[in-house]
Amino acid sequence: MIRTVVIAVVVALAVVIALAAIFGVFAQSRKPAPIEGFAAPFVFGRFQIPESNPLTIEAVELGRRLFYDPRLSGDNTVSCSTCHKQHLAFTDGLKTGLGISGKPLAFNSMSLANLLWGPRHFFWDGRAASLEEQALIPVQHADEMAQNLDLLVVELEDDSRYRELFDIAYGEISASSIGRALAAFERTLVSSNSRYDQFLRGDLTLSAEEELGRKLFMAHPDVKVSLRGGNCIDCHSQFLTGGFSSRYDGFSNNGLDEEQHLPPGLAQTTGDQAHRGLFKVPTLRNIAVTAPYMHDGRFSTLDEVLDHYNEGIRWSSTLSPLIMEADNLNKESPDHISLNLGEGEQTAIIAFLHTLTDHDFLTAEKISDPFVQNGQQR
Amino acid sequence: MKRSILVSFFILLLVVIIGLALSSQRAARPMQLKLNFLPVVGGQPLVLDEPRYANPAGEGRFKIRSFQFFISNIRLIGKSGQYVEPESYHLVRFDSASGKYLITLDNVPRQKYQEIEFGIGVDAAANGAITVSGDLDPNGRMAWSWDVGYKFVLFEGGLMLGGTQYPLVYHVGFDENFKTISESLDGELFEQQAPSLDFRVDILRMFDAVNRIDMSVLSNVKFDRKDAKRLAENFAHMVTLCPMGCSPLEGIK
Repeated sequence: MIRTVVIAVVVALAVVIALAAIFGVFAQSRKPAPIEGFAAPFVFGRFQIPESNPLTIEAVELGRRLFYDPRLSGDNTVSCSTCHKQHLAFTDGLKTGLGISGKPLAFNSMSLANLLWGPRHFFWDGRAASLEEQALIPVQHADEMAQNLDLLVVELEDDSRYRELFDIAYGEISASSIGRALAAFERTLVSSNSRYDQFLRGDLTLSAEEELGRKLFMAHPDVKVSLRGGNCIDCHSQFLTGGFSSRYDGFSNNGLDEEQHLPPGLAQTTGDQAHRGLFKVPTLRNIAVTAPYMHDGRFSTLDEVLDHYNEGIRWSSTLSPLIMEADNLNKESPDHISLNLGEGEQTAIIAFLHTLTDHDFLTAEKISDPFVQNGQQR
Repeated sequence: MKRSILVSFFILLLVVIIGLALSSQRAARPMQLKLNFLPVVGGQPLVLDEPRYANPAGEGRFKIRSFQFFISNIRLIGKSGQYVEPESYHLVRFDSASGKYLITLDNVPRQKYQEIEFGIGVDAAANGAITVSGDLDPNGRMAWSWDVGYKFVLFEGGLMLGGTQYPLVYHVGFDENFKTISESLDGELFEQQAPSLDFRVDILRMFDAVNRIDMSVLSNVKFDRKDAKRLAENFAHMVTLCPMGCSPLEGIK
C-alpha cells in the first residue's frame, strides 16, 4: 500500500517536472531577446530605456516594419517614412509635411536622430511626453495618416508575421504595443559617425575653416575678453548639437517673429505665457541634408539661417536673453540685436555644420525600409 | 549518536541565525536627511518673469527669467565620522510647481553631525572633465564647452529701464570661483524621525553682498575673470541655513 502511494507520488512529481521543463523551454524560446551591445559614444552621456519598453531584437524589428508600412494609414498610402525619409536623415525636404489629406501640415517634419538624448518632450511644441505617446499621434491625425487604431489592430492581426512578432515582443497586438514598437525602433536611430564624431574620437583633424567654425559654434561672444562666437552652443549642446534635456530648457524663442505675430509654440502645451514663441531646439546632426529649416520650414538654405541669426532677429517679449545680448562688437545701443559676425565667420560655421553629416546613418541597412531589397519591393 | 550530532548542529545553526537577526536589528538603521532650498529676492518672494525687483545699485527694475546653480560635494561632519554624498552634483532651480528645491540624502549613517559643508559651483576635477556625474551633463545647459567647463551659477533675465527691456546675462564659472559653504548643526536634529534642514537662497545677494552691482552698468558677465570674481564673492553669501527652519520670507532683515 505504502509502496503504491510512494510510486504514485514519484510518478506524479516526474510528470510535473517534465511538464515544467517543457513549458520552461517553450516559454524561453518565445521570450524577446535583448539587443546586445547597444551603445553610443561616451560623449553623448547617459540614456534611459523605459522599463515598460525594453529594447529587444523583436521589438525593434517590429517597429521598423511598422515605420515603413503604409498600412498604418487609413487608406494604406502613407507610412511614417513618407515624411521621415532615411536619406534625408528622416525628414522630407518639404517646408511642412504632407500627409493623407494633401493639406500642408502645421510643422516641418523633424529629423529622427539620437532621440534617446535631448528634450524629453516631442514635437516642435513639446506636446508628447514620450516617444511611445508621440508615435501614435500622427497615425491618428486626420491630415497625416487618418488611421483608426482599433481597425489597425484588426488589420495587423491578419498578417502572420506581425502576429508572430507582436506575440514575442509584447504578447499582443494593441494600440499600446504599436506605439511601443515604433518608439523602440526610433531609439535605435543613432547618428554617431559624422566627421565631427571622428574628430571627437581623434581619428581625423578638421580643416582650418571647419575648425574656425567649430570654435565659433562653441562660443558665446564676449567683447570684453575678445572672444568671438556664433552663439550656437547657447541652445545646441556641444556634442549632441541638440536641445538640452532638463525640463523645458531645450525650447527657445530664436527671434523668428515679432511680438504681434508670435505663435503659441510651447505655451500651447504648458499654458505658460512665458513659453509663447518657444519651439524645440532640434538636433543639428545631418543638418546639411535636412533643409528647409525652422519649425515652419521658412528658410531654404543654411546661408539664410545664418543670416537670420546674424542680422535678422526680431524682438519679442520672450526672445532668448542670450540672443538679445550676444554681439561680436560693442553694442551700438543696449537694445540693438546683431551678432555682427564677419562673412568668413558665417561660412566657417556652415563648413562646420557640414561635418555633422553622417553618411552611414543616411544609408545603414538596419534602419532602412525592410520591404525593399536591392531596390525591389519585397 | 549520529542523530545527536545532527540535532546539535541544527541548534547551533538556529543560535547563529537568531544572533545575526538580533545584531542587525540593534545596529541603528541609516536615515534620510532632506535639504530644502527656498528662494527669495531680497525681501520678496521669487516670481519669475516679472520686473518687480529694484536694481540694487542703480536705476530700473529687473526680472528673472532663468536662475539655476550647482550645489556639490555635500558632506556631513560628526565627531564619530563623516558622511560624503556620492556623485554629489545638484542643479538647483526653482521653476517647478513647488517653487523650492529639495535634495534628499539617503542612507546617512545615524549619528549626531556637527557641521554640514557643500560647494557652490563645480570642483576643479569635475569642472575639467566631461564625465556624467549627478546633474553634471556635458550636453546640458550649464556646460560652456569642454575646454571652459561649467557655469556655476546661471542668471538670465531683463532690466526694465525707461520703457525698454535690456537683456541681463550672468554666467559665472571658473575654478577659482568655486565656493565652499559651511554651517554648524544642532546635534539634536538627528534624533528626529525625519530630519530636514532649510536653506534660504537669496538671489539678490548675488548683486548686493560684498560688491554692489549696478545692472545697467554691468548687464552681463561671462568670461571676464574680474567680473566673474566680483559676482562669485557675492554668491558665496547667497545660501544660508535657517537654524529653526525657514518660511521663505521669515527673518529677513
